[in-house]
Amino acid sequence: MRWLLRRVIRKAGNEVNVADSTIDAEALTIGRATDQSICINDIRVAQRHARITVSGRGRYRVEALSAAGVRINGEVGQGATVAIGAVIEIGPVTLKPIKVSGYDAALEQTDSAPSIEFSTAASAGKHRPSKRLWAWVGFVAVLVFALLVPMAMHYQPALRVLPLPGTTAWSPGTLDAAHQGIAADCTRCHTQTFARTTEAGCHECHQSVHAHADAERFGLPALNMDRCGGCHEEHRGVHGLRFANATSLCSDCHRSLQDTTSGVSKLANASDFGRDHGEFRLQMPVVAADGQLQAETMQWNVDLIEHSGLKFNHQKHLVAGGLETPNGPRKLECINCHQIEPGGARMQPIAFERDCHDCHKLSFDPIEPEREVVHGRVAEVVYTLNGHYAKRALEGGYAQSSAPAPVQQRRRPGSPPLPVAQKQQALEWARDKARGVAESLFTGQACVTCHTVTAPTTENPDYVIAPVRVAGSWYSAALFNHLKHASMLCVDCHARAPQSASASDLLIPGIATCRTCHQSVVHKRGVVASDCTLCHVYHGSTTQAVTEKAAVSP
Amino acid sequence: MPARAASVRAALAKRGASRHESLLRVAGARYLWVALGLSALALIAYLADRSTPVANGGTWLGYTLGTTAALLIVWLMLLGIRKRSYASRLGTVQGWASAHVYLGTALIPIALLHAGFRVGWNVHTLLLVLMFLVIGSGFFGVFAYLRYPAFMTRNRDGASRDAMLQRIADIDQRALTTADRIDPKLHAIVLRSIARTRLGGKGLLSELRARDGSVAAITQIREAIVERQTVLAMPAQPVQAPAAGQTMFAMVDYLAHSQDDTSIGNLRSLIDLLAQKHELARRIVRDVQLQALLELWLYVHVPLSFALLAALIAHIVAVFFYW
Repeated sequence: MRWLLRRVIRKAGNEVNVADSTIDAEALTIGRATDQSICINDIRVAQRHARITVSGRGRYRVEALSAAGVRINGEVGQGATVAIGAVIEIGPVTLKPIKVSGYDAALEQTDSAPSIEFSTAASAGKHRPSKRLWAWVGFVAVLVFALLVPMAMHYQPALRVLPLPGTTAWSPGTLDAAHQGIAADCTRCHTQTFARTTEAGCHECHQSVHAHADAERFGLPALNMDRCGGCHEEHRGVHGLRFANATSLCSDCHRSLQDTTSGVSKLANASDFGRDHGEFRLQMPVVAADGQLQAETMQWNVDLIEHSGLKFNHQKHLVAGGLETPNGPRKLECINCHQIEPGGARMQPIAFERDCHDCHKLSFDPIEPEREVVHGRVAEVVYTLNGHYAKRALEGGYAQSSAPAPVQQRRRPGSPPLPVAQKQQALEWARDKARGVAESLFTGQACVTCHTVTAPTTENPDYVIAPVRVAGSWYSAALFNHLKHASMLCVDCHARAPQSASASDLLIPGIATCRTCHQSVVHKRGVVASDCTLCHVYHGSTTQAVTEKAAVSP
Repeated sequence: MPARAASVRAALAKRGASRHESLLRVAGARYLWVALGLSALALIAYLADRSTPVANGGTWLGYTLGTTAALLIVWLMLLGIRKRSYASRLGTVQGWASAHVYLGTALIPIALLHAGFRVGWNVHTLLLVLMFLVIGSGFFGVFAYLRYPAFMTRNRDGASRDAMLQRIADIDQRALTTADRIDPKLHAIVLRSIARTRLGGKGLLSELRARDGSVAAITQIREAIVERQTVLAMPAQPVQAPAAGQTMFAMVDYLAHSQDDTSIGNLRSLIDLLAQKHELARRIVRDVQLQALLELWLYVHVPLSFALLAALIAHIVAVFFYW
């Protein structure tokens, strides 16, 4: 077998010498011993280090004869089958199988520097990851996934189905609970890019928004600000749209409202519920010129006289020992008559039938005490009495000594009809009786107990009950809710009620009562932090609208 | 001229002091005070600001803090350019590095105040997290620069790494010659061990692991000796072969008792050589390990800071894209 050994000798200045030699041998032996085909006089090589045989066309079998092994393609091993181009390293010599025609086998031999080298140690720190590469990878990855992909999804909604970060990855915070339903589509509010959100997006859903106040009337152009986001900041959490500190927003104007509106506003300056807020102004019912009640706004004062049109003595009803009632002794509580309306805000109006009638019966005939007149309808009361006594008179058998004989006389079925004269006498009695009982009911024992009654005059032949206001909104501009105060006792706020002997006592509390618990948001121990929006509504104008569908009175 | 000599000495002392000045004490820690001042200013403005119920980056203060932080990040990244600009006269690199450390730290309060301490699963918090990772790796870098160079000096014991490598090459040559005189099998073992010695290895992990393969050779030689004695049918000696992992001295003792032929002397000198090599290899590997530790943080710090730059761009664009 003819082997070609091509020795490549590198000289200075990139010059390369090639020396070919031919070896006739079955196997090529490599070692330090002189009888080897390739003799390498280097201590790093064993006497008989390795043997190379041809194992096929262009394929060689390399076997290590020394335990030190041979480095083939960078891996130290005891043997391997290699092909053209493989790198076999033994000591300082590198052998590469090559293809040369005319020979059975051919190897290229290159000698490296004669000293022992440690490539690994010299290159410490060189087998590191590339900072530059990873910097690029990081830069591009973040830019693509944090910016370009979401941007593409903005312009191409079809891409939003992809499981990649979308525009919601830009959301700086949780949306308010009210907006969670549209959270997936940023463009519902962000209608334009690179521009602040406008009111247009808001008005898509919020179509009946009232203004705060008339900007022109009060000379406050700032009130015309139509950008909702100016006050309503989104992405501030599930309850983010509720102002955490509305006081500062409101007090910007309301601190010196009289100055800023040049005295046009009727409201007093206010900047802080606890420290800078005027006494409440309540809607007091007053008797107008026509005798009807109408609300008049006035500042709360403990000495105000309430005109409810009723007579009522709280003290008498709330007496500690209880009351003697037709149904036995009973101790009354506030809630027996004052009940919260379903929404919880106000009290239900006092209803005679529900709240008073258990004790205050409207009976009129001692002979038939279970028969009563209706409450609240004067004409019907008179009609009922007339009918009742006429029937009694004509039927007879009415056991009252003052009644005429035909009325007292019991009539049996089949008796002959009353003569006309007796009939007239009976009906006359009935008319007089009804009139007397009516007078007694209205002015003596029933109606007059609670109501102011005007007896019939020649101009006005009917009894007149003074108008009554038993319930209503005292503080119409405030969002008070009784139900939210259910943990309190009634007397905690309505302190004078148990001692009040007259319905003219004003039992509605003023600001001082509220302030015992409610103070401004400037944190103070033991108080309820209360900003303006706890009681007041901003979009509360009845005359000015922000959106077209808001109903306003011109 | 004693007065002049004194002044020269003083000047030399001063220069000497400044040459060994720590990164943290450049110019009397001037940038520490700049960073503290900047942070305090940001904090006071934050506490005084009442313009919004929920502090966020969208107020005027928020924009100001955000712009400051963004400019700081860009400037901090310019250190990479400044330290390569050897001709630049724009302050010393040491001054830049000191400012880099302090102002980089000041970025923490400024960025947190800009964010109003609000975080979420979004690109904005990604930016914050990347910033913390970059700053955290930077802290490790400062720690490493203050600590490891002294370790390296002590470990090298006056020699350079190249000198130590040269000595190992020397020892290897002698070990091979000695082994060859004893037995071809021993030669093969030593050769194999040289081929397999890894000083530093390929890649960061093996550099940090700090293992060299030089102990394996000694263990194998001991095995070879036992085998050789068996083959030569030496009279059995009541000598326990030292267990794997025992010291060189035990090995030499063992050889002394084995009453072998003249190659005992060679064997002893071979083992002596291998012990020397082991000691040297240990130092080199430790040196490589320390160097890796010294440079390691940069492989986190630099790539992440570029990711941070991308996140910064994404943050700014996204915020105004959906203003």
